[in-house]
This record gives sequence, structure tokens and C-alpha cells, in this order.
Amino acid sequence: MGKPAFISIIATTAVLAAVLPAMGAGADFRAHAARTLNATDTARLHFVHSSGSKLFEEGSATGAIPGTMSAHFDIGPTVSTTFVLRARGGGTLIGHGSGTLHGSGRYESFAGTIVVSSGTGRYLHAHGHAGLYGTFDRRTYALVVQTTGDLSY
Amino acid sequence: MPLRHTRLLLAAILACCASFSATVADAAAPAVRLHATFTPERLGGETTIGFGFQVSTPAGETPSPVTEMDLRYPADLGIGLSGLGLQTCSPLTLEIIGGVGCPVESRMGHGTAIAVIPLTEDPLYETAQVTIFRAPTEDGHIALLFFANGESPVSAQIPLPGLLLDSAPPFGGRIHLNIPLVPSLPSAPNVAMVRLQSTIGPRGITYFEHIHGRTVAYKPKGILLPDRCPAGGFPFAASLSFENGSSASASTRVPCPVHRRKNARGRSHT
Repeated sequence: MGKPAFISIIATTAVLAAVLPAMGAGADFRAHAARTLNATDTARLHFVHSSGSKLFEEGSATGAIPGTMSAHFDIGPTVSTTFVLRARGGGTLIGHGSGTLHGSGRYESFAGTIVVSSGTGRYLHAHGHAGLYGTFDRRTYALVVQTTGDLSY
Repeated sequence: MPLRHTRLLLAAILACCASFSATVADAAAPAVRLHATFTPERLGGETTIGFGFQVSTPAGETPSPVTEMDLRYPADLGIGLSGLGLQTCSPLTLEIIGGVGCPVESRMGHGTAIAVIPLTEDPLYETAQVTIFRAPTEDGHIALLFFANGESPVSAQIPLPGLLLDSAPPFGGRIHLNIPLVPSLPSAPNVAMVRLQSTIGPRGITYFEHIHGRTVAYKPKGILLPDRCPAGGFPFAASLSFENGSSASASTRVPCPVHRRKNARGRSHT
């Protein structure tokens, strides 16, 4: 490397060192940078209300984002859901999904995908896709739902 | 009795008859009538669905056999929440042992079917008892088996495989039923089902469960009706395909339940 190039690098570094703190660029990057979390959560839901093929269920979620979950399920030829996860540390995740039934008998299993479409608080910009797996007790309507996938927020 | 033996028996019995009818329907589609009921019909409550279709042709004609049927049912019917079909029965069990080989908790409904065995001027009519069983899930779809058990004049046991599939609104889904062709005489028309009447629901069905070492009988919950009735009633529709390539469809509605209002003296009236 020649002397002029070396001087140029030093000069550029000096300019950046002077300007970036003044702009607060470091702090802004921390505030807006999307974080991606590979999350696996399990929710154990109990029956609250039903109307026809639709179930409203609530329960607790454990895993990468623990909290409480409220979910509507439509148990038809396929299973579809909309849900809200209220994270224990604040903020909510909102999404929807669908799956197909695989089991038979009292405990039906289902598998499909969910989409996290929005959120509030620290998950305001949340979005992501995840696998949806679960079991459904056809006597008590209790559901165990597991989601695993990438969440950006 | 295995199905192939049944068919052989059927052919042998019919071979005793001198001749058979040649007046099978041509490519013209038969007329189909559909009916449906909820018993009881209470919004937000549990019910048994009754449904049936009847195929009719001009006098003297025998309809072409039905090969497929789609019964579309209203949105928001909680068939999956009914607590029916907690166990399954396999087609093999039905074919080899019959309905008695299936767990009682796999029963989801029952009814009757009428088939025409095409003979000369006087076709034979046979009534078969139909039991609907839950079958193992197929490719993510709830599977059903309609088991038709006829005793007289011909002994025949025929499983009809069905699937619960999606359907476009205003329907919530459809029961797709494949109806196998049942031969009668060699080179004679196949047996034609002309009427099916059945239920899906807890009416007439008892399940058993083990509680603290005891076997306790109970009635399954039933099909959950939604809290609201759709405008114009709950829509049902059926489409049938026939062996001769024709098809026919029919629709009906279960009217919304009549609201009962209480008058000033507390007596209800409609």
C-alpha cells in the first residue's frame, strides 16, 4: 500500500469517528435493527367458548417468548386459527395459521404453518413464519400447540 | 362376508331369474331430491344432522347407479367438535368382520338405503341398514365409512368410503362419498342406489368410557350449531354423479329456528 492510500484510510476513519457519535448513529441502529429469533413455543390452551365449529381458547405459553395466549380455532375439514400472544415481558404478537388433521380418535394431531403478521410494544414490527403442530382433545377441547420458526421484530 | 363373495352370491341369485330389464336410464340425468334436518335445532346447542337424497326417473326406467356423491353442509357446523368418532374402523375390518368388528366409539350415525336390482318389469327393491363409521384419517382429511348392510332379498354388505373435504362458502365443508358399482347379472345393469337417508350425530348412539375402573355409558356431545342462523337458513346441497356419465344436483335449507318471545304474562308464543 502506498503512502497516499494509507493517509486516505486514516483520514476517512477520523472523519467517521468524528461524525457518527454526533449523529447518534449507533443508538439508532440499536433501536431499529430487526432482531431475528429462532423461537420454539408451546401453548397449553383450555376451552373458553364455542360456537359451531369455532373454539375460543386461552392458556399459557412457554419457550422463547413466554406469556399468555388467546386463540380462535375453526375445527372443520382443516384447522385454522387466529391468535394473540401476550409476552410476559411486554408486547404482543398477532398472527394466523392453518393446518391439516393427521391423527384419529380422541386426540387429533394437526400440522401446518402460522404467520406472525403484526404486534405491539417491542414486537410492533414483528413478522415471521413458523411451523404449527398440535394435538386436540375432542372430549375436553383442550389444545396443545407448538410453534417453531423464525421471528423478526 | 367378504365383498367379492357377496357379489358372486348376488350374481348367482339373480342368475336364477329368467331375464332382466333393459330399460336403464339413458344419458338423461335423473331428478334428485335432497332433504336435511337438525334434531333438535337450538342455536349454540348440540344436534344430530339428518340428511337424505332420493333419485327418481320417469316411470318404468331404472336410474343409472350413483357413483359419487358430494353433500355440502353449512359453514360453522361443529362436526369436528362433536365428540363423535373417537375411535376408527378400517375398511378391512368392515369387509371381513362387518360392523360388529368396529369399536362402538367409531359410530357416527345411521340410516337406511334403498337399492334397485334391475330385473324385468318388476325390479327388486332392497333396503339396507346404513351405519356411518369414522375411518383412519386420509391425507389430512377426516375419513368416513358408510356401511350398507342388506339382508333381503339379497345379502350384501358394502362399505362406501367417504372424506370430509373443504367447500366454498356458504358451505363449511362437504362429505365426498365414493359409491362402488355393485354388479347384478353378467352383462346386466349394475345395482342402483335410489335413496339414502341417514344421520350424523348422537341420536341413537351410545359410547362407553372407563372411569375409575368402571365402564360408563354416555351419549356423545353432538354436532354444535353456531350461535347465529345464516340468512335464509342453513344451506345444504348435494351433487351426484351417475355411471352413465350424467350428473344431478339438489339443494335445500334447514329453516332458522322460530324465535319464541315472551308476552307480558310470561307465556311464550311464536
